[in-house]
Amino acid sequence: MNGGPAAPNRTGPSDGGPSISRRSALAAAAGLTVSTSGCIRQVRDILMPNNIQQLSLTITTLPADSDRQSIRLSRELADVFETVGINVSFDIRSPVDFHRTVLYDHEFDVWIAEHPGGTDPDFLYEALHSVYTDESGWQNPFGYTNLTVDDSLETQRQLEGEKRREAVTDVLEQVAIEQPFVPICIPDQHRAVRTDRFDWDERALATPQGYLGVDPAPDVSTLRATHTDSRPTSNLNPLAVDYRGEDPFVDLLYDSPATETADGEIEPWFARSWEWDAGTIDVRLRTDCPFHDGEPMTAEDVAFTYRFLANMRLDDAEAAAPAPRYRGLVEAVDSVEVVHRDRVELRIDAGRPVGERALLVPILPAHVWRERAGGANGPGGATIAQETAEAVATENVPPIGSGPFQFAERTEGEGLTLERFDGHFTLRSDVDLPAPTVDELTVRVDPPGAAAQRVVDDTADVTTSPLEANVVAGVDQSGSTRVLESPSWSFYCLGFNARDAPFSNPRFRRVIAQLIDKEWLVDEVFRGHARPVATPVTEEWVPESLEWNGTDPETPFLGTDGEVDEAAVESAFETAGFRYDERGRLRVRQ
Amino acid sequence: MLAEVLTQVALVIGILLPISVLVFIGRERLVRTRAEWRDRLRTNAPVIAVLLVVLLINRVARQTAPELSRKVGVHLTATFYNVEGEFILLFKSVETPELTAYFASVYVFGYTFLLIFPVIAYFMLSDTRTFRRLLAAYALNYAIGLVLYILIIAYGPRNVMPAELTERMLYDTNPQYQYLTREVNANTNVFPSLHTSLSATVAAFASMTRSAYPKWFPIAVVLAASVAISTMYLGIHWGIDVAAGLVLAAACVVLSDKLVGRWSLSDLFGDRFEGLSDRLPRLRREE
Repeated sequence: MNGGPAAPNRTGPSDGGPSISRRSALAAAAGLTVSTSGCIRQVRDILMPNNIQQLSLTITTLPADSDRQSIRLSRELADVFETVGINVSFDIRSPVDFHRTVLYDHEFDVWIAEHPGGTDPDFLYEALHSVYTDESGWQNPFGYTNLTVDDSLETQRQLEGEKRREAVTDVLEQVAIEQPFVPICIPDQHRAVRTDRFDWDERALATPQGYLGVDPAPDVSTLRATHTDSRPTSNLNPLAVDYRGEDPFVDLLYDSPATETADGEIEPWFARSWEWDAGTIDVRLRTDCPFHDGEPMTAEDVAFTYRFLANMRLDDAEAAAPAPRYRGLVEAVDSVEVVHRDRVELRIDAGRPVGERALLVPILPAHVWRERAGGANGPGGATIAQETAEAVATENVPPIGSGPFQFAERTEGEGLTLERFDGHFTLRSDVDLPAPTVDELTVRVDPPGAAAQRVVDDTADVTTSPLEANVVAGVDQSGSTRVLESPSWSFYCLGFNARDAPFSNPRFRRVIAQLIDKEWLVDEVFRGHARPVATPVTEEWVPESLEWNGTDPETPFLGTDGEVDEAAVESAFETAGFRYDERGRLRVRQ
Repeated sequence: MLAEVLTQVALVIGILLPISVLVFIGRERLVRTRAEWRDRLRTNAPVIAVLLVVLLINRVARQTAPELSRKVGVHLTATFYNVEGEFILLFKSVETPELTAYFASVYVFGYTFLLIFPVIAYFMLSDTRTFRRLLAAYALNYAIGLVLYILIIAYGPRNVMPAELTERMLYDTNPQYQYLTREVNANTNVFPSLHTSLSATVAAFASMTRSAYPKWFPIAVVLAASVAISTMYLGIHWGIDVAAGLVLAAACVVLSDKLVGRWSLSDLFGDRFEGLSDRLPRLRREE
């Protein structure tokens, strides 16, 4: 026995020693794999003769009540994985639990769910940069580290125009080769709406602005929303990653300096205008805008917001605790200076397209959030667990924002009522922006199967949660109900925990990616209401090399019509350096 | 929608109850109960109070339990799925729209009726012990169930195999019922099946009282069995949950026998109840 990296001779089924659970094996191996000198490897081989065993992987995902497509994708893929000799189990968790497990605790092998994505490909900086592996939130939950990719991600942030497009293409191609996560498809966003009560803007509904500026029919003063996710009735904290999903409500409660359209354009909102000048954004704010509690919203609050998001402990610079949301946006801001009550200057370390995106953060009232600074200090001293910070843990009810709607009441698990905030600047005659057009916005939590029917029955005006793929075709559109389709950029994906072997190995990840028949899954699980993708960005950013051409150009499926070609997969895994035993089980060092 | 469903349930039960009272209980017992109901109520008051307290705790716990459960609970969905796999898809071979309609109505209406009728029927018996045991068994079912729900986090088959179950999933075919069930339960409360355990409890009592209510016994058994099967047929519970429900029912029936009549009110409250206890044999049990 020479302790070679593959050690193929000991992989037979006859070595029937006590099996070691994956976790304990990992824990034990962690101390030993730091160095891979031959000597230590030999010691390990003696200590743990069984550390090469059938690959077991757990798929962490959501239940059908929360996301029917995720659990269906998971089970279809589990079947494929089992076929090629991988032992699969599930970890099915509620949305809150799922996000805590994946984004805070990083306790998963692979997860399958929807990633929020972004209109601009810069979201990948937050999603994949290696400096974020130790943080909590959507910033690098994969634990993926690659200095070349880091470099490309940083480069595209500094550029503009065609140069940036080329740099983005570099990023996308590198990511497609590396497969830190496998993008599966971008689902269509369908919503059922009542056209006799409101005049909807189909494209705008992709963003929170879609609920503003909608012309109501005469006598209509309430916009009745039906939502399938109960989380907004429990928590309205813009920083709580575990509670924020695809709801527009928190964004309607808070203003940001600028807003983003469905096409990714950054437009003035609380900022009247701004000037970009070589790394500085000079922002002119609107005046006399109050928060919902009557306190004035000024440049101080804007500056506070950037400082707070960068470090929820404010003054304690030694153990900075950045907010788990908006991380990639705030990263571009080097410093903030209050020039005047209605004027702030942001020093930006990024090119204009990315730098201006820093204006998309919600403005937090300093007089409310300053008290929430800290809390991350445990009794035993400093901790960098961002999720335990008071600012993240608070449910933030009632929320004090400055947005076009203010909080009225809620019943946990059942509903939420927002009312028009009459002090909002969009209601001024000299401001030409979409304003709240109703007195009240009521949200009722309904089961996914019942939401569209409530619109048909005229007890709701809009399904704020996009419809599930299996109900889209069945919505009765004979009356005043219509199904609208809005642009979408969130994508379903399989995310690897690249902190652990074998998921840390890009060769392994690439073979897994080739087990996923995206085209077939889109038909089978999404009934065609999605488009398969090789790269997780909006269509205008997809480089020619990664365009979908009936199959994945980078990691084509090893098989046809959802059926894998076992021999091809076996040889792919073997080419990647993995072994099968004679019973067809994939054996790896875990 | 909840109001709509509640009205439906109230209507169905409102029709079924008077008919069953006439058919199963009979006039004679009604007349006697009319004469004795105050005394019986007094005797039964403590156990009624216990049941109400348990139900109230259940109600309150619905708000706080999820957070507690998240901290101390064990995730067992995958374990259940690994153990029994696609067992409940067995019912796919007998699936028809009529059967789906039958099981859906048994799950909602049959179950409610099954739980309420015995309370009335046993109140009509001169021997109040059966009534007290029944209520104690109900309370035990809910109390033990609540503890298990906090400790065990598991989703039912409908949350794991939506595509295979879609034709007969209760909430796909009758989404309105979900408004009712979510008032009672979170979707992670599947182990054990309280539908099964409470129905089986009722069937066990029906068997014990079949000399008093001979016609009720077969009806209760058929209904209870239907409820247990419906939970699997409709994709709400795993076979494991139903099995655990049966075990829980057995435990509660046995425990109710051991507990009821153990503590005497006259011991607890002195001789204020002396006069009452003269007429009530159970209060002298300890003597």
